[in-house]
Amino acid sequence: MDIEPSDLIVGAMMLVFGVIGLILAAGAVDDEIYVFGLSLFAFACIFLIGQVRHHFDRQHAARAAVVAKDNRHV
Amino acid sequence: MFIRQETIEKNAVLLLVLTLLTVAIGGIVEIVPLFTIETTVEHVKGMRPYSPLELRGRDIYIQEGCYLCHSQQIRALRDEVERYGHYSLAAESMYDHPFQWGSKRIGPDLARVGAKYSNDWHYAHLTYPQALVPESLMPRYAFLATTPLRIDDIQARMRVLRLEGVPYTDDDIANAGADLAAQADPQGDSAALIKRYPKANVVSGNGRVITEMDALVAYLQMLGTLVDFADTNTERLQQ
Amino acid sequence: MSDVALPAIAAPGDFARSVARPAVVYNEAIVKKSVIAAMFWAVIAMTVGVYIATELAWPAFNFGQSWLSFGRLRPVHTSAAIFAFGGSALIGTSFHVVQRTCRARLFGGDALANFVFWGYQFFIVMAALSYVMGFSQGMEYAEPEWHIDLWLTVVWVCYAIVFIGTLFKRQEEHIYVANWFYVAFILTIAVLHIGNNIAIPVSIFGAKSYEVASGVQSALIQWWYGHNAVGFFLTAGFLGMMYYFIPKAANRPVYSYRLSVVHFWSLIFLYIWAGPHHLHWTALPNWTQTLGMAFSIMLWMPSWGGMINGIMTLSGAWDKLRTDPGLRFSVTAVGFYGMSTFEGPVMSIRDINALAHYTDWVIGHVHSGALGWVAFISFGAIYYLVPVLWQRSGLYSNRLANWHYWVSTLGIVFYITSMWVAGIMQGLMWRAYDQFGFLQYSFAESVVAVHPYYVIRMVGGLLFLTGTLIMVYNLIQTVRSPSTAVSKALPVGAALAAE
Repeated sequence: MDIEPSDLIVGAMMLVFGVIGLILAAGAVDDEIYVFGLSLFAFACIFLIGQVRHHFDRQHAARAAVVAKDNRHV
Repeated sequence: MFIRQETIEKNAVLLLVLTLLTVAIGGIVEIVPLFTIETTVEHVKGMRPYSPLELRGRDIYIQEGCYLCHSQQIRALRDEVERYGHYSLAAESMYDHPFQWGSKRIGPDLARVGAKYSNDWHYAHLTYPQALVPESLMPRYAFLATTPLRIDDIQARMRVLRLEGVPYTDDDIANAGADLAAQADPQGDSAALIKRYPKANVVSGNGRVITEMDALVAYLQMLGTLVDFADTNTERLQQ
Repeated sequence: MSDVALPAIAAPGDFARSVARPAVVYNEAIVKKSVIAAMFWAVIAMTVGVYIATELAWPAFNFGQSWLSFGRLRPVHTSAAIFAFGGSALIGTSFHVVQRTCRARLFGGDALANFVFWGYQFFIVMAALSYVMGFSQGMEYAEPEWHIDLWLTVVWVCYAIVFIGTLFKRQEEHIYVANWFYVAFILTIAVLHIGNNIAIPVSIFGAKSYEVASGVQSALIQWWYGHNAVGFFLTAGFLGMMYYFIPKAANRPVYSYRLSVVHFWSLIFLYIWAGPHHLHWTALPNWTQTLGMAFSIMLWMPSWGGMINGIMTLSGAWDKLRTDPGLRFSVTAVGFYGMSTFEGPVMSIRDINALAHYTDWVIGHVHSGALGWVAFISFGAIYYLVPVLWQRSGLYSNRLANWHYWVSTLGIVFYITSMWVAGIMQGLMWRAYDQFGFLQYSFAESVVAVHPYYVIRMVGGLLFLTGTLIMVYNLIQTVRSPSTAVSKALPVGAALAAE
């Protein structure tokens, strides 16, 4: 099953955000930016993992639909 | 009117563009002239930028959300002027990035609270307001007296404000650390500080480390004290 | 045309289905998430609200702690109520409405829609955390510091892309009225947010920043923003909600198309000018104050146009107010909207404002709008949406919804009347002179005088929170209880009508 363009674009955004988060946390001069940077990194990681999971869930559901409909495996 | 609604709602681009144009007008008409009309900020004598300690005090004021209970804007109304002093001029907040006029009085207006009470009163009041004003709804801010003031970035703060139009001189910025220490040290020599920042109040502190409460008191004690109203006239105050 | 025979009894949607158009699978997951988030934040916002109301009644509840103090908690309450609760409700309903009125699935795929939702939730949590930690830009309803403002800008741009992109891929020729209001809300909030948050950070690795504007200019920029946060976030966006969910629940068309056109354009034009009414008698120049006052008064008309349109849509279906508690919430909301949009222009008159400004009357006005209009129209929409989204036969308990309605309405009444009394009392006490020509009351005496009303206000808020908790329970049971399950053996017509 193809990966949709929007998945790729949003995934790329998440990579960028994750890196920005780490950089901010690393250079933080106050608690607020430190917490924000780490949280942004965590958010990006969790979102990316969610995207991967969502992709495989969709793939699985599509395969299950084909099995149910045509009684054959893909 | 010139374009029929029927046309607009069949064309998303038209809807977007016309909506944006419609909502842009009011803001432009009301806000732009405030920057261009010269008399918006009155020409009065006495205004000066905040000293380093006062600036940090203002930062603490914002940090604690003081503007949510206290206003800093005396309106041109008789009872208000009688209770708080001369009505506030636009010039008096010209260096406030952003303004702190407030929109609610759960506590009294502070626009001219400067030099109305002693330093000791302010320290005691901030620590335990109800001890001085039993009816007060103010929270206790004793923690400000035990929180050391962060001072390593004072020059950076002043530089940003200078970029935004506050007339700090190179001299002011170079001496920021010294001025900050001098304003919290009653035993020290505050001559240079007062020369750079007339009417700055020296606060007493604990003698060991400058705290957030020191900064806040320094800020409160100069509010509304800068402009000499005897030395101006109604014509010059016209906007 | 296809030669498919029409069913003997037409049900909503039949015509569309008989014409050979591909069936659209809507992204309902995002709407479900938003509804859950909205109810979650409603409870949080109201709980914090009750707590800070308690602090104002009995300041001991500040406990001398920085993170619990009124000054740090108040923005948590206002942001949670407006942006967390209101924003989640707007995102969810706008995505539901735009898809169904355009007959198009959300533009940008699941990924972008999910980013808008979760990115927005991240903004909410980060903002609240920052206030409690003592980081604020010191501007009402714009407290988040620059880094959180930037993040919100990214999320909001994506929200605009998803919503507007869906408009572009619509299969319906005309853009439905609700979408004009949602679009105006999304676009204007973007402009306002950026305009009021132009600031320079002291360090890119630190949260502290200074706004570029200062003094009187920053005052007007703030209230251009602040008043239109009300006008576009809390009004235009929720009018979009009204224009879909009232006709849907009443099963009636909108009362007047012409009225919706006139009041839409005049509302979004006039609202922007009203900012200066927050600055009457201050150092803002008189000409600006006068413009603000004049436009605020004119604003009464398009606002009541919206109210009339919303209420009169019930024509021919008034009996539904007895049987459909969700619809009752929506229509009551429109009534409160009318009340608030009359009170607002009245308070914008300079001489009335001289009494009202800085007093609790303003707080009463805010909450008649926030509780009466914003919360109630959201409740109406959510009561309609939950059975639809989770495919249930109806609400778990209409009786509980009725209890919610009356408890919350009582709460609103306690809240606003206590604040009216407190506010006008404060205003009169501050300006009172005794027979010798001296000010009669000290400020502290006015604080003592309003204490009982602060207690009543807290009770009002507690009642409103209780009503919301009743709703949360009702909705959870609606989703989970077997008593609301839709039977799979429904005839075709009834199943279609359930959409």
